[in-house]
Amino acid sequence: MKMKRIALLGLLLIVLIILIVIFFGSGGEKYKKEAYTTTSPASDQLPGEVQDSKKIILFFASEDDTFLHPEERDILSDSSIAPQAKQIIKELIKGSQNSFILPLPPETKLRELFITKEGIVYVDFSREIQEKHLSGSSAEILTIFSIVNSLAYNFKSIKRVFLLIEGNERETLAGHVDLSRPLLPRYDLIAN
Amino acid sequence: MHSLKKRILIFSLMFFSLAIFFLSQNLPFIKLSAIDYSGYSRVLIEPSFPLQSSVEKKGIKTIVIDPGHGGLETGAKGKFGSLEKNITLAVSLKLKAIVERMGYHVVLTRDKDIDVSLENRSAIANNNRAYLFISIHANSSPRKKAMGSETYFLSLNATDEEARRLAYMENNSATIEEKIKSEDEDNIMMILWDMAQTAYLQHSSQLAESIQIELNSLLSTINRGIKQAPFKVLTGVACPAVLVEVAFISNPEEEKKLLNEEFQTKVAMAICRGLTDFLRKYSQ
Repeated sequence: MKMKRIALLGLLLIVLIILIVIFFGSGGEKYKKEAYTTTSPASDQLPGEVQDSKKIILFFASEDDTFLHPEERDILSDSSIAPQAKQIIKELIKGSQNSFILPLPPETKLRELFITKEGIVYVDFSREIQEKHLSGSSAEILTIFSIVNSLAYNFKSIKRVFLLIEGNERETLAGHVDLSRPLLPRYDLIAN
Repeated sequence: MHSLKKRILIFSLMFFSLAIFFLSQNLPFIKLSAIDYSGYSRVLIEPSFPLQSSVEKKGIKTIVIDPGHGGLETGAKGKFGSLEKNITLAVSLKLKAIVERMGYHVVLTRDKDIDVSLENRSAIANNNRAYLFISIHANSSPRKKAMGSETYFLSLNATDEEARRLAYMENNSATIEEKIKSEDEDNIMMILWDMAQTAYLQHSSQLAESIQIELNSLLSTINRGIKQAPFKVLTGVACPAVLVEVAFISNPEEEKKLLNEEFQTKVAMAICRGLTDFLRKYSQ
């Protein structure tokens, strides 16, 4: 009888430990992240319809000068802007296919994105965009405006971009640029 | 285990309550003020320096120098292990000494390796009725070739509505208390705090120019020119304000210069010359 009890308790303990490890280990994080980064299905398209691809412009830094440089990319078209905007950010994070420089930490993940009817895009990034940032005004300006420009340039209805990090408002990204207001694009930073 | 945690919790609560109690008393160097901001209530701890009134009486101008970053916030890092926060402090201390010799009163937003919030840095400038505000930084870029010196002043990131209000304020700045109706006052006060710098943009650009000219001539670094950016540290400062990016800590060649005492002294001299040039040309 006692042996059975001990064995049962032992088994329960092992199960508990396994559950804790799963929940608090990276597995748990993955689960949480997936809940945020799943792209919604193309909203108003009927099942079976082939999605068109569409060309958009991303902006990267370049070793050649201090400006942002355009690079074409294909994304899947959609009747809504938010799914397309999400693709733009994800493609930006993937980096340049033309040896331009990625102006943000490559470990950055897009957590969430939504657009208000006034045309402000709220983009929520994972902590890496801040924690792994080089810091420095030049680095910070390149990061912020590659994101803002890549969104605003491709959609007339996107007027401004508000950056969030881990779901929170921050004072600045890396100590310099004010993030308390939605940002306007800066096309003066784009190379001619 | 349980009761230890409880004790720690209770002790922490008591400690913080007492801390807040003491801070709310009028200690000479700390002042708590609550600012209402569209539904949020924010508490700022503003250092108030007793020197302020005697300096003002003598008609001595106060210049506030802000060594960027500090404490847990290291700022950018160099390949040789240098930290931006240490370089900004070293340059700022040298700059303070030189500017004081010119007869000005200088206040640093920090004089050791501590964290100071961006809002407190602007508050220090405003509380000391700063005549000028200069924030010192070292730059960094993902571009390996990035090199040189640049000076920033504030660019507005205002909505159309805000831009209209700000234009109203600028045009009416002489009699602003009279003209604003009391219903408008709260909203306008909100903007005044947040965007105090907007009344000084023209002077800030002139200050940036004067400083950049001297950096170019004394440092022989590449001239990256005068730029504008929506920098948080500048937005609330109510006097001509600039942010100087001395050189790139991300570039090994410039990192070595930034660590060099002679170079730091040259930087301080250049900024001092720039600000005295500006004061000579543009101050009343």
